[in-house]
Amino acid sequence: MLRYTTRQLLNMTVTLLVVSLLVFMLNELTPIDVARKLLGPYATQDQVEILNKQMGLDRSAFSRYVEYVGNVLRGDLGESNLYRRPVAEVLRDRLGNTLMLAGICFAVIVPFSVVLGVFAGMRERSLADRAISLFASLCASIPEFALGVFVIAIFVVELGILPGISPLSTSGGWPLWSQFVLPVAVVTLYDGGYLISMIRASMVEVMRQPFIRTATLKGMPFRDVVVKHALRNALITPFTVILLQLNYLVSGLVVVEMVFAYPGFGRMMLEAALNKDIALIEAGALCAVTVTMLTQIAGDYGYMALDPRIRV
Amino acid sequence: MADKLHPIIKLAGRDFADGKLDRREFLRIATLLGIATPVAFGMAGLPMPAMAQGAPKKGGIVRLGSRVQDLKSPHTYSWVESANAARQTLDYLTYTGIDNVTRPNLVAKWEPSPDLKTWTLTLRRDVTWRKDNRKLTADDVVWNIKRVLDPKTGSSVVGLLKGFILDEYETGEKDDKGVAKKSTRLWDANAVQKVDDFTIRLNGKAANLGIPEALFHYPLMIMDPAENGEFKVGSNGTGAFDMVELDVGKRARFAARKSGHWGGGAHIDTFEIIDLGDDAAAQVAALASKQVDMIYQGAVTTYDTVQKMPNVQINSIDTAYTAVARVHSLKPFDDKRVRQALRHATDPDAVLKLAYRGLGKPGEHHHVSSVHPEYANVGYMKQDIAKAKALLAEAGYPNGIDTEIIARPQPDWELLAVQAMVEQWKEAGIRARINVMPSAQYWNVWTKVPFGFTTWAHRPLGTMVHSLAYRTGGAWNESNWSNAEFDKLITEAEGYLDVEKRRAVMAKLERIMLDEGPIVVPLWRSVFNYSDKKIKGYKIHPTIYIEAKDMWVDA
Repeated sequence: MLRYTTRQLLNMTVTLLVVSLLVFMLNELTPIDVARKLLGPYATQDQVEILNKQMGLDRSAFSRYVEYVGNVLRGDLGESNLYRRPVAEVLRDRLGNTLMLAGICFAVIVPFSVVLGVFAGMRERSLADRAISLFASLCASIPEFALGVFVIAIFVVELGILPGISPLSTSGGWPLWSQFVLPVAVVTLYDGGYLISMIRASMVEVMRQPFIRTATLKGMPFRDVVVKHALRNALITPFTVILLQLNYLVSGLVVVEMVFAYPGFGRMMLEAALNKDIALIEAGALCAVTVTMLTQIAGDYGYMALDPRIRV
Repeated sequence: MADKLHPIIKLAGRDFADGKLDRREFLRIATLLGIATPVAFGMAGLPMPAMAQGAPKKGGIVRLGSRVQDLKSPHTYSWVESANAARQTLDYLTYTGIDNVTRPNLVAKWEPSPDLKTWTLTLRRDVTWRKDNRKLTADDVVWNIKRVLDPKTGSSVVGLLKGFILDEYETGEKDDKGVAKKSTRLWDANAVQKVDDFTIRLNGKAANLGIPEALFHYPLMIMDPAENGEFKVGSNGTGAFDMVELDVGKRARFAARKSGHWGGGAHIDTFEIIDLGDDAAAQVAALASKQVDMIYQGAVTTYDTVQKMPNVQINSIDTAYTAVARVHSLKPFDDKRVRQALRHATDPDAVLKLAYRGLGKPGEHHHVSSVHPEYANVGYMKQDIAKAKALLAEAGYPNGIDTEIIARPQPDWELLAVQAMVEQWKEAGIRARINVMPSAQYWNVWTKVPFGFTTWAHRPLGTMVHSLAYRTGGAWNESNWSNAEFDKLITEAEGYLDVEKRRAVMAKLERIMLDEGPIVVPLWRSVFNYSDKKIKGYKIHPTIYIEAKDMWVDA
């Protein structure tokens, strides 16, 4: 297991290096003049040249990349052109906000999806199964931004019982906890719809297996059949999907963060990309890749825990 | 007020009495030439504009939804959003109001010489810096003016005052293509002169009537020289607020100065700017849940929704903001008949309704709006598809033409306007493909693309925009338009104080534009924003400048 972990961590290091080079090259190919973007359309050419020089953008791409890698190895992620602060600070702040939102979402989505998915799948074609399946399909098929606008229209504009944006500031008169309700609701409904369908399908398949029939015919209470025999087997396949949600929750909440003006990692990455803030994009991409790879390693250990037959 | 009447005021007064000068233009000229605003309003027979909506109440907070940008270098700002934050702490020497009238601000008065080449600025004596209570002096102002005029600073004020006070010279260096590099410097060592502790004189090389207006150009904020041009939390200022928090991309917070502000201070205790990002839905949501009290600028897509919100009012003003579809003189647009066909194929009324909900005025295919004082009505060009087809056939394109227009996706109305025009052009046989290019990319190539749709900001005079955008060799001449007669007429128009004379020249310029010009102007848009009805003392400025010190909360 130690050898496996070491190999995976080495793989991760190589991947991070390749990703950083690719992101840098893609940025170079994007036809955006960083200084022009920062200064605006009506800035003079003199202003643009001065800023390019100040930011060192008049030097070759190769020398900038080599310098960047050297700095990262020394623990210096550089300074963000957009936020005019050290990248590490911006990243800590925005990633912290997103991890908070992602953590709450994950804590809600998993039990919500498991309960509904298992409940639907344990009695295939029952009324409850049909109702839950319809609900799950509906949630998964509405885009996040539309779902966001719907909940804003109902709970903010019509009922006025929840805040419409989540700037994580109480100056608007709304407590912090209330600013998480709608973003978490949107992510839970959108993501939960997909997970419920996955868990239900897996549960239905397990419930058709001979060992379940044997357990039932032996007179075991239905509750025990589900909890002791079906549940663990039914969760092996959805486990991958559940773990993949971690990646989505950390780096894929762009739409929700934009709709609710939430100062998170996804919105930061979008704005960094639009402004060609290379230091921030690089650091953000490395973060996202690290999360993905660590999730994969965690997933492998999870499989082993769920199914003792699996060994790495 | 000036001790002696400037000779041009007497001239303007005579023209005003003869009905040759309208009240608005008379007011502008009289105030620019140093007449105190109340006196100028009196001379024009107008009441002073009322701002107050009941007695202002003290205290409270106003929260503005707007981008929160890096504010480090006020003298090089290129975005109004940045200026709207820093202007709460830093002041301008003058102030141009929503009525287009420029008033004294940090200066108590200004006096131009009869030839308009020398401007003497007298500072108020009651202005103090917040941190050390030191008086604002001529040394502070001279330092700021010299700094913005120094090409090393990189301020856009250089472009504005170049003709008045700077000389261009060759640096002796050459660029990558071997072309000699040029820079600017003060035309005379004494060009920015300290007369005494409270008096500054600008000794220009050419006449310029617009100096007080130029002193309100948004990067020209007066900073404490001790801070060396850097603005940050706690920075010194003469304004009504102290910036106490700045988190770029999230929020900025300003606390009202407790005492010593020359204008009596702010009514509110706190002004906060909250970054809502670029999503229009977030604007509506923030207003609905009262997490912000104002939105910097409204979007067409949210207008109808906000109209139905009982707690919100929509503030709007007619402006000379527009966007023009302009072509380079390249095939097939090298033939003026093809350019005319583009204009005849366009229905500005329909574009205004489709793209901007009718909020503004239809364009007339020349760059002078009816809000400009020298606007001449030379006849509104209505859509005429038959004529457009005939012109194309005459030019040798009986089967029409195929082309590509580059447009930006944001703001949303621009792409809608292009889509509407492209559909209209199809009827005349002009088949245009739309190439949607992100803004950041477009602004790299906006003067280089053969056919593009470019936004143009409001400017108070038609001559200003002609000089910037259509004079041969002009830095912002994006269409590469060059017409010797047109250039001559622009210079002639700029030389007339008499608005009627300027209007007569402007009519000639407009006709040349309609006959040969490189542009299609579909609309003049109103700008609008949203504010909670409890916010009083606020009126929208054509350039959407926001002064928090004038606002109060009627809770």
